[in-house]
Amino acid sequence: MNPDPSARSRIEALIASQRVVLFMKGQRDAPQCGFSARVCQILDQLLPDYATVDVLADPALRDEVKRYSEWPTIPQLYVDGSFVGGCDILQEMSEDGSLFETLGLERPKPASLPHVEFSEAAIQALGRLAAEQPAGRSLHLAIDARWQHALFFGEDAASDLVVEAGELRLGLDPVSASRAEGLRIDAEGGPEGPAFRIDNPNAPRPKVQQLAVRELKQRLDAGAPIHLFDVRTPEERAIAHIPGARLLDEEATRAIARLDRATPLVFHCHHGGRSHAAAEHFAAQGFLNVANVVGGIDAWSQEVDPSVPRY
Amino acid sequence: MAIQILSEPPPEPEELRARLEAAIRAHFPDAKIEVSASSPGHFEVTVVSPLFLGLPRVKQQQRVYAAIRELMAGDSAPVHAIDRMVTRAP
Repeated sequence: MNPDPSARSRIEALIASQRVVLFMKGQRDAPQCGFSARVCQILDQLLPDYATVDVLADPALRDEVKRYSEWPTIPQLYVDGSFVGGCDILQEMSEDGSLFETLGLERPKPASLPHVEFSEAAIQALGRLAAEQPAGRSLHLAIDARWQHALFFGEDAASDLVVEAGELRLGLDPVSASRAEGLRIDAEGGPEGPAFRIDNPNAPRPKVQQLAVRELKQRLDAGAPIHLFDVRTPEERAIAHIPGARLLDEEATRAIARLDRATPLVFHCHHGGRSHAAAEHFAAQGFLNVANVVGGIDAWSQEVDPSVPRY
Repeated sequence: MAIQILSEPPPEPEELRARLEAAIRAHFPDAKIEVSASSPGHFEVTVVSPLFLGLPRVKQQQRVYAAIRELMAGDSAPVHAIDRMVTRAP
């Protein structure tokens, strides 16, 4: 096999374009191989953003990157244009902590045990689940660099910090522990077993996005899974309303509380003021994808659908 | 299902193991080298060589991979993967 100059120049451009570039099988959120998945897991813990290149989508690049790195396997990590290693080496660097320096991060200070609060319902539900686990598997919480929380049963690591609440033990790796101070875990019963809710005061509050009426129209027409709420009064709604928008009454508020926190929520009112406040409220409840309709239904009447009366 | 016609029968694990060891030996004459087969086409390799002194682990392993490149090149390469590679200076 001879070098492929075109693939080589693509590789050089890729590793020069971003500080951290991972050549992998699949994408960051959908790895196609266990080794690539493991490396994404390691990087997710430390970095909110990094670039990935799916070598399965580009066979010439896949062959050439192996030659370029003098490394026969995928995944391969580049930082500042230099080859760092594959899965085994990154796993080791993650364990001995040298990956922090390689990525230009400060090592977390020797983590102190965070204060984690459990609701009574959470203690009971987690206690029941813990009792069903085989020996050697205990409750863990991992918090990655994008502030995604994962509560799971798994094997203990020597470096885990263990929070105790009565009988319950919760293990956190040192990086997650440094992100967990003041965290609260609650549980709600559901038909398919308990659902756990994690409130972490350290997580940055997601910003409310501002959505123009024309963009809202495009998204609705494209069939995007948007939950659109009208925060005006029923009297105003009787005068004019946007098709597909649901009145934000008490029942709707309860329905929102049951939704997955990743569900996209959009709020509108007459001019955009009240709906912004509502959007801020739900963002503070942990919803990650919340938008306010700029200009409200008045802008909708003027820019999208003149048949909706103005008032 | 595609059937691959091999021009010669696949090498025996022992023969392949010896070829791997010889390829490494050619680049690391003074090294202590252990090669063992873990499954068909998969091997575990340990190389302890004074040439590794002062080199980071990724550079050490790149040198070993460079030594066995011919045996791992291409989709029909006789050696599919090194499941485990241990490199260090004596």
